[in-house]
Amino acid sequence: MDIFILQVLNALFYASILYLIASGFTLIFGVMGIANMAHGSFYAVGAFVTAWSLGFLQSRGVEPWLLVFFLPLGAIAVAILGMLIEPILLRPFYQRAHEYQLLLTFGVLLIIEDGIQMIFGSDPLLVDMVIAPFGSLQIFSFRYPNYNFVVIGTGLVTAFLLWALMYRSRFGVVLRATSQDMRMASAMGINVGKVYVLAFGIGSFLAGLGGAIIVPTQTAVVGMGLEALIIAFVVVAVGGIGSQLGALIGALLVALVRTAGVHFVPEIELAVLFLIAVGVLLWRPTGLLGNAP
Amino acid sequence: MLALDNIETFRGPAKILHGISMKIEEGEVVAIVGRNGAGKITTMESIIGLLRVKSGQISFRGENITRMSAHSIARRGIGFSPGDCGLFSSLSVQENLEIGRWHADPKRIDKMADGDTLEKRVYSVFPEIEGFKRRNSLKLSGGQRKMVAISRAMYLCPSLLLIDEAFEGLAPVVISRFRDALKKIKEMGITLLMAESNFSNASLVADRVYVLDRGEVLYEGKPKDAMNDPRVKKILQG
Repeated sequence: MDIFILQVLNALFYASILYLIASGFTLIFGVMGIANMAHGSFYAVGAFVTAWSLGFLQSRGVEPWLLVFFLPLGAIAVAILGMLIEPILLRPFYQRAHEYQLLLTFGVLLIIEDGIQMIFGSDPLLVDMVIAPFGSLQIFSFRYPNYNFVVIGTGLVTAFLLWALMYRSRFGVVLRATSQDMRMASAMGINVGKVYVLAFGIGSFLAGLGGAIIVPTQTAVVGMGLEALIIAFVVVAVGGIGSQLGALIGALLVALVRTAGVHFVPEIELAVLFLIAVGVLLWRPTGLLGNAP
Repeated sequence: MLALDNIETFRGPAKILHGISMKIEEGEVVAIVGRNGAGKITTMESIIGLLRVKSGQISFRGENITRMSAHSIARRGIGFSPGDCGLFSSLSVQENLEIGRWHADPKRIDKMADGDTLEKRVYSVFPEIEGFKRRNSLKLSGGQRKMVAISRAMYLCPSLLLIDEAFEGLAPVVISRFRDALKKIKEMGITLLMAESNFSNASLVADRVYVLDRGEVLYEGKPKDAMNDPRVKKILQG
């Protein structure tokens, strides 16, 4: 029983991070139609900026409990980075074939990965001092860090806020209109360029937030973005590309399967994950909640 | 109000408009008539900024709008109702309409007469919309979709309204309903520029017509005189 609860909590923790990455990816794809290969690198930048900033602040004597308020720094940095990349690099390619966009965003991925090494070095960064002030909770025979509940809560709150943004706000209406027909949207007075920058900024922020909140529990290492990208692809493919609810369900499913895989068949846990994705895609080629093109 | 001076527009490598010139005065109802491929919708998309004009000039109320983005042109008071209606199917009818209001220039709304509102205007033209405004725009008939498309453009509080194929696909009884609606819109002081394939439908409401053929203006004048031109007669009657 203890192990079961622990594994469920671990799965929820992992699902929260996956949801943050995948929801940003699917938002950008849904609005702009771009499969952003650099999205995993945004997650990595979020982790590195947060880890470096918190380390710097700690060295200046800031109390560990105060450091938690600076966690979103990485996400904000990534949002700014995304809002610069979209109009300068991506926008000229929207009218081009998808392979150009894939090549371009893959190039951005490589630049960011090298940029991370150049700026932060190759050594792993960890800021686990943030976890201790939260304490831990006794659940049966094991203690579970409260910080992990913060991560799970962040995923849930983000899912709610994204839903509210998309379906209960003026910007959401504009975003959905633009994602459906950008020409007609512009003829209705919508500044499509501005909507694209904001959507890309929000999508990037979500990936950065994933990196920022995971870095107290896992080290920020060079190459972490690539693994995140691959798993995010699986989440989005399973949930249905362009669907926020699909991203949430996909993240939960992938996290549960991977956690169970690690526990029962650790040798082939990734293979199990991809087999599940293949199974879902064979059954529903557009993913669980994706719409047929 | 609107002047097109010798404009040339391409779609990809194909030159569609070969030096079109037009003048539309305040309060007029003008129809652009022609067969499929004559350049009617290309002219409209050039005006609204959805297609880039290669050469020539378009001016609206004295301001050069030739190189302006579509959203800037819309905010200056040019509404557009496309032939396929262009409704956002993921949104409700109400949300489709609101988008226009949110992006209308507040100064133009302020200039409306006391007690006059965008809702009043739209519902006086198409009172039926009140009954299905909460419905998803996918679940509408062809006539209802056209009503919403025209109403949505009216929510931009336009002084010039471009309507592509207002009567296309409508039953004869509904056509008279739409003709009355367009007359009401004209009475509100909104200038109308329509694109029509069917000359008799265009002549129901238009004060003047421009007949286009292969991207050139073939005739400009009153609808009743158009058929006196043998070239127009040949084109419009086949």
